[in-house]
Amino acid sequence: MKKPLTIILALGGIFAGCTQHVTKHEFAPNMYEERPIAILVLPPINKSTAADAKEYYTTTVAEPLTNMGYYVFPMEVVNEVLKQEGLFDTETMFNVPPGKFKEYFGADAVMYVTILEWNTQYLVTSGSVNVKIASELRSTTTGEVLWFYDDRVSVSTTGETGGATGLAGLLVQAVTTAIKTAATDYVPLARQANAKILLALPYGKYNKEYDKDRQMKIEKKKQIGPKEEE
Amino acid sequence: MRTPFLPITALIVLLAGCMPPQTPFYWGDYSVSLYNYKKTPDDKTFAEHKQSLIVIITESPNKPLPVPPGIYAEYGYMLILEGKEQEGLEYMDKEVTLYPESRIFVERLKRAFKKGDES
Repeated sequence: MKKPLTIILALGGIFAGCTQHVTKHEFAPNMYEERPIAILVLPPINKSTAADAKEYYTTTVAEPLTNMGYYVFPMEVVNEVLKQEGLFDTETMFNVPPGKFKEYFGADAVMYVTILEWNTQYLVTSGSVNVKIASELRSTTTGEVLWFYDDRVSVSTTGETGGATGLAGLLVQAVTTAIKTAATDYVPLARQANAKILLALPYGKYNKEYDKDRQMKIEKKKQIGPKEEE
Repeated sequence: MRTPFLPITALIVLLAGCMPPQTPFYWGDYSVSLYNYKKTPDDKTFAEHKQSLIVIITESPNKPLPVPPGIYAEYGYMLILEGKEQEGLEYMDKEVTLYPESRIFVERLKRAFKKGDES
């Protein structure tokens, strides 16, 4: 009786490691139902240790999101309006009922972005730069979550030994790792993370693929956006 | 001479299949100039970002593609910041003509600027 259990456990282990795939329509049926056009991207919540992550991240969203086929309100101008409404603090904004953004901006949906990682892991001779983003889209009509997704992009900055071996090699590697890690910019990684996340979003009306992507397979994700903490 | 021709044709067909599909909008250097402006906000980076908006506005019709969402409004906003209010408001109107879904937003902006003038 012991053997089958081991096999089942092993199988369970294998399946847990696998990523599940679903169609876009199965993952986000309400997107195809409501068909939002105009998206308001709010300034992100920054849960990383980098204070400047929030400001730099916002420069990377409009381009991929419009290319997916959506009208995106110009974020630089939106920030001005939000300030005038006394809504500059991101944390306060998360408590504003989504319907208010329909009233203020005419938005069909609001995108809430959380920056989870924007950091450098640096272990003397090896290093990596990491960016992890979670996005969530909520309807301004019903307040419901229409779609959510997340992804992490990581680049190794481990330096070269320059052909040297032994202790000398390690020293060279430590120095080149330090240089590479310091020079790697986060913004290209944020762009990559956005690209990966937004490809899982159903296409909007300004993209030729609009409404033709219901059967497109994407990796199934669990919701890790701001909502779980409410 | 006939044999190399086929692989080359095959290669071209393959490469064509790998080409990224054309995106619906042309964004030029937008994200780079905006990033530079955010990193070091001064007259130079402001002018450079404004210049990338101008390039997007003038180049899009040549692609031919519509000017991307938000570009007319952002350009208009930059003109207003420079004190060219009339011209700025004209670009705000262009945004609404091209993207009617921006109407409520642009009207709110215009009201905000008028309020700013009175105070």
